[in-house]
Amino acid sequence: MTDWLIGLTILVPWIGALAVWLTGDDRPELQHRLAVVFSVVAGVCALLLLPSYDSAPALSIEVGSVFGTFTFVPDGLGVFLTAVATVVGSLAVIFSVDYMRGEQSLGRYYALVLFFIGAMVGLVLSGSLFLMFVFWEITALCSYALISFYNDDPAAVAGGLRALIITQLGGLGLLAGALVTYAYFGDTQISIFLKNAGTLPSGMLSVMAYGALIAAAAKSAQVPFHTWLPGAMEAPTPISALIHAATMVNAGVYLLARFYPAFADVSGWTTAVVLVGLLSAFLAALMAVFATDLKRVLAYSTISQLGYMVYAVGVGGVFASQFHLLSHAVFKALLFLAAGAVIHSVGTRDMRKMGGLKKEMPFVRTVFVIGALALAGLPILNGFWSKELVLEDGLHHGPVWAYVGMLIAAGITALYTFRMVWMVFYGEPRREGHVHDAGQAMKLATGVLAVGTLTTWLLAGGFGEMLEESLPFHGLHVPAGTTLYETILTAPATYLALAVIAVGLAAWWFRDRLAWVGEAVPWLAKAADVDFGFEWLNQRVVSITISAGETLRVTQTGLLNWNVLGIVGGLVIVLAVLALGA
Amino acid sequence: MNTLEIVLISAFALAGTGVYGLLITRNLIKVVVALQIMIKGAVLALVMAGAASDQLALGQSLALTVIVADTVVAVIGLAFAIQVKRVRGTLDLRDLSELRG
Amino acid sequence: MLAAGLGIAAVVCAVLAIRASRLLSAALWLAVVSALVSIILYELGARQVAVIELSVGAGLVTVLFVFAISIAGDDGLGEASVLPRWLAVGAVGVLLVLLVGMALPVAETDAAAGEFSIEATLWDQRALDVLVQIVLIFTGVLCLLGLLAETRLPAQTPAQPVAANVGRTEIPPVDQVPDEPVEAPELEPVLEEASL
Repeated sequence: MTDWLIGLTILVPWIGALAVWLTGDDRPELQHRLAVVFSVVAGVCALLLLPSYDSAPALSIEVGSVFGTFTFVPDGLGVFLTAVATVVGSLAVIFSVDYMRGEQSLGRYYALVLFFIGAMVGLVLSGSLFLMFVFWEITALCSYALISFYNDDPAAVAGGLRALIITQLGGLGLLAGALVTYAYFGDTQISIFLKNAGTLPSGMLSVMAYGALIAAAAKSAQVPFHTWLPGAMEAPTPISALIHAATMVNAGVYLLARFYPAFADVSGWTTAVVLVGLLSAFLAALMAVFATDLKRVLAYSTISQLGYMVYAVGVGGVFASQFHLLSHAVFKALLFLAAGAVIHSVGTRDMRKMGGLKKEMPFVRTVFVIGALALAGLPILNGFWSKELVLEDGLHHGPVWAYVGMLIAAGITALYTFRMVWMVFYGEPRREGHVHDAGQAMKLATGVLAVGTLTTWLLAGGFGEMLEESLPFHGLHVPAGTTLYETILTAPATYLALAVIAVGLAAWWFRDRLAWVGEAVPWLAKAADVDFGFEWLNQRVVSITISAGETLRVTQTGLLNWNVLGIVGGLVIVLAVLALGA
Repeated sequence: MNTLEIVLISAFALAGTGVYGLLITRNLIKVVVALQIMIKGAVLALVMAGAASDQLALGQSLALTVIVADTVVAVIGLAFAIQVKRVRGTLDLRDLSELRG
Repeated sequence: MLAAGLGIAAVVCAVLAIRASRLLSAALWLAVVSALVSIILYELGARQVAVIELSVGAGLVTVLFVFAISIAGDDGLGEASVLPRWLAVGAVGVLLVLLVGMALPVAETDAAAGEFSIEATLWDQRALDVLVQIVLIFTGVLCLLGLLAETRLPAQTPAQPVAANVGRTEIPPVDQVPDEPVEAPELEPVLEEASL
């Protein structure tokens, strides 16, 4: 049964992609409906898969000796992320029905979204490193195609290419890891790698560990590879919600969490992970304070919150990191979708042109405020519980300087969150024109996510149990039932964090009196504007890659003779390797 | 050196000549000729392998499949060449190659 | 002895076919190669395939070639080739040395030229192959009909060399902020009329 469910969860969206594409763009209503139906069915399959978590492979496909066996393992980590990907995916598709009404090329849009959902499910459920690499590449392809969806807009195309190049360079690390595993253990299964990681020569293990960190940092937009994410905001907003907040950017954190037992003992690795998480959380939060584009603030916020998850993995709190991943997926998708509703009706992304929208968009204001309170980490909402858990793990198991930095970042998070909410919904309106509240589909999608924000923290006990039982190599011990909540509520660290958040909120409230702080550090604002220099670095990498590609164009002559020579040359190399190895 | 070894060497030499033809020629019809020579070498090698392993029937069946496939390729290739000559006026590969970087 | 003679003759004729200056000569040398190969096949004991090879290779394909050449013209396009000849010869030579070196041990046994029933093998073991062949032939006929049925051809477009730099990737530098110019951001935004 489980193997059927796994197969369905991956194949249903893919069949849906084909169906929507074949329907043709002259029947948009049918395309909308088909997309919603297929994504909801996939979500249902994923939810049905949840109770059958197990640490043994449920679906194995033999593909010959070179690639090993393609296995799908429904362990706690995998099935939970599957549920997140498909449920948030179906909500984003439902939202798209209103958002993309009247747009061109709907077939291409929905096909790519559905293709992505299936590939994301495959990525988190796969038990073979090589298979994981294949799905990783598919998600990167869909992300690129969707960022550049408005392909007559040069900014969108440029953003898509940058995202593609930077995440792909990281993906090469994953392929190298798969090859190393195959070379040493004869099989690319992740479980075999985790079990025998200690037997690898330490130099090789270090290379793999840092390579995995680079791949994860590139995919999850962590410092120093974070600059592609703000540029990816050219995508339609449901895409930003799905791919760049709730699913694909989590793939990097997922990678770190899954391979944590193998790499934890590599010298300096955990410190490097903590450092990457800390820098991302802190710098991105600072940049969010100065940004004026609504989606850009949310992009920086995503980088910052992913930094929290990475930091949690670094200090050994794998459960805390995944729990925060769940909360973040829900409330960040909510924020992005609500922001999309705002942008759709106001017509601009610039927050300086918004304001006072609370009267005209009451529903959106309510759900947005719920999401924002979760982001800031106020009690009752899911963001509070998960962020406190992360900070606690950090205090008990990690270096103190990192904890202090994360605490300050939490305060800055509250600051920019409050600023964002204020600039959009409160104050006096700063533009003319009529705005309407969100459409039905938008209200449905954001409403469900708001309910989720209020309630997903209740799943912590069951989720922890799932992880503990089905991840044999991680050695997790999660307190059962409600002890988790009591621990959080009674720890002094929680109240310390709440105090810092209150300071952040107060800083916004009394911003007039704090104006002198802004005068004292003008360089901060300018530095934030250029992403603290990382933008230049990433742009260099992208330009070098593109010019290398242009230089290599000359090898594509199109002449049969040269192509056949290439084939013969390849054959000679293969035969030579075989002859020497025999 | 027994019969089979001689046949093997000539089969591979035929295939090599066919590849050489693919590398050298500029004429589309000559490309089809070179392909045909290459495939004759392959057929010969298949049957030789069947004879060497005492499974001539299997070798012949495989060789038959290859002959059918290569005939179809020759037919379609020549039809292509005729159409290309009609539309583009030339059979020279250098002038026909548009799929390039 | 016979096999050696036939083999050498086949290779020589093949080289002549490649190097022929007229297309018709190339087609005729190809027919000779077919005939020689079919004799070798007969000597190996593969009687049925030898017959098929002779009739198809030396018969059908040669007729097709003559037909095509008569329509398309006999111009051999001269000796000049795109690749330098030494490169082609060298590549093929290295390939052959490697292949023959690796495959020669296979042929160590003596040829057992017995009677074999190809029909049983063909229909029982390789039934899928037969199906594939039938599909192939059908597809080939369809393609042929489709190709040759073009009665309304587009106007003669003489081939032109394609200009360089067609389709070059142009990546504009990425803008940080959308349309509006950035004012120097301060810690608090400009909200003169905002009420707290």
